[in-house]
Amino acid sequence: MSLPTSDIDLFADDVLLDPYPYYAELRELGGVVHLPKSEVYALTRYDVIRTALGDPEAFSSRTIGFNPMVNEALQGTSLASDPPVHAQLRATLTANLSPRALRGLKTQIDAKAAALIDDLVRQGSFEAIDALARAFPLEVVADLIGFTGHVRDNMLRWGQAAMQVIGPMNQRTAENFPIAGELYGWCSGVTAEDLAPGSVGRGIFDAEARGDIPAGTAGHIIHQYLGAGVDTTIAAIGNIVALFAAHPDQFDLVRKDPSLVPAAFSEVLRFWVPIHAWGRLVTRDVEIDGATVPAGSQVAILLGAGNRDPRHYEDPDSFLVERNPVDHLSFGYGPHGCAGQGLARLEAHAVIEALVSRVHRLVVGEEVRVPSNITRSIERLPVLEVVPA
Amino acid sequence: MRIAADRDRCEGHGLCVDTAPEVYDLDDDAVVVLRHEVVPAALERRAEAGARVCPVAALRVEQMSVES
Repeated sequence: MSLPTSDIDLFADDVLLDPYPYYAELRELGGVVHLPKSEVYALTRYDVIRTALGDPEAFSSRTIGFNPMVNEALQGTSLASDPPVHAQLRATLTANLSPRALRGLKTQIDAKAAALIDDLVRQGSFEAIDALARAFPLEVVADLIGFTGHVRDNMLRWGQAAMQVIGPMNQRTAENFPIAGELYGWCSGVTAEDLAPGSVGRGIFDAEARGDIPAGTAGHIIHQYLGAGVDTTIAAIGNIVALFAAHPDQFDLVRKDPSLVPAAFSEVLRFWVPIHAWGRLVTRDVEIDGATVPAGSQVAILLGAGNRDPRHYEDPDSFLVERNPVDHLSFGYGPHGCAGQGLARLEAHAVIEALVSRVHRLVVGEEVRVPSNITRSIERLPVLEVVPA
Repeated sequence: MRIAADRDRCEGHGLCVDTAPEVYDLDDDAVVVLRHEVVPAALERRAEAGARVCPVAALRVEQMSVES
C-alpha cells in the first residue's frame, strides 16, 4: 500500500488556529500521512502515535524540532537524546520535578490558587489569560526555581519563544530565535546566587557543587524547566476556564463531585492539546498501517489527532469530565513522557478545585487566538461575569 | 500473569495506583511496589489497565508460560 499524501500545511495559520477539522481529515487518510508542504510524515491515529512514542529505537528524538537550527541547539539535552544516554539526563531533570520531589509543595500551590481565585471572584470580571492562566504558573514556577527581578518579567516571552522556535523555519520561528537566545544566554550565565535560597533552582546548583550532576548542567536544567514548563501550562489553564465556561453542565458535575477534578483535567488535556506537533526522526524503514515510512524521514506526531481518534475514544469530539481518559497523549508517553506532568497536575488540580468550590457560573466573551507554531493556547478570554457559588 | 516494574524508570506519578490500588502501591520514596508477585486471575484486567496508564512506560505485563 502506498503512503497517503495531503497538501495540508501543518503550520499554516488556519490550521494552527483550529487544527481539529484537519486532524480528522488526516486521520481518515491513514495512521501516517505524507505532508510534502510541511516536509513531514504526520502520525495521526492513537495506536500509531502511542507505539511510536514507546519505540525510541525506531523513532529517535534527535529531531524533535522542525528546523535544523533548533535541533542543533537542543543536542545534549534530555529532550533530544535517545537511550541509553537519555536515562541519565532524564534522571537529573526529574530529580527535582517528580511527584516524590514535589510532595511538599501541594499545600503551598493549593493556597496560591485559592488566594488568586478568591481575588478574581471578588473582582467579578477579569481577563482569564493574563489574570489566571499566565499569572498562576508564572508565580509557581518563578518561586519554585527561585527567580527574582527581571528574569521573572521575562519568563512569559522566553517561554513562548522557546516553543515557537521548535516550528519550521517560518516567520514566527525567525522572529523568536533572538528571544529564545536571550533565555539561553541567561541560563548559560546564571549562578546559585541569582536564585532565592531554599528554592529548587538553588538546590540544582547545590547538587552540581556536590558532584551529583555533571559540572555545567545546572543552567541547562533550568533552561528546560523554563522552556517546557511555562507556555504549555498556561495553555492548559486557559483551556480549563474556556471549557468550563462553554460546558456549564460539565462544570456542574465537577462542582457536585470534586473527586472528578483529576478526570476533568485529563479530559481538558485530551480535548484541547497544548502541543500541536512534536518531531521524531525515523531511524530505519518503518511499516505503519501497511505503508512504509523510509529511514531518515522527519515525523510530526499529532498528539491532538490521536486524542480525538474514534478508534480509541467513544464520542471523541464531546467534552465529558466523567470520561477520565488517563491514557490521553497530551503529555506524550514512554521514556520521553512529559517530565513536568507531576507539577502540571498539581497546578491544574489546584486551579480546578479552587474554581469548583468558589464559582457557580463563568460567563465569558469571545476568545481570541493567535497562530503559534507549537503551543496552541488562547490569547485573550474575557470573563464578563463570575457568579459566585 | 506477572507485572514487570522498572523501578529506575518509575517517577512516582501514581496513575497505576489510582487505576488499580489492589495491584499497585507506592513506597515511602514514591516508587511503585507490586502487591502480588503473581497477579491473581481475578485482578488481571485491573493489573493490565494499571500498567497501561503508566505515563513513562515503567510497567510491563508478562504472560507466564503454562508448564506442560
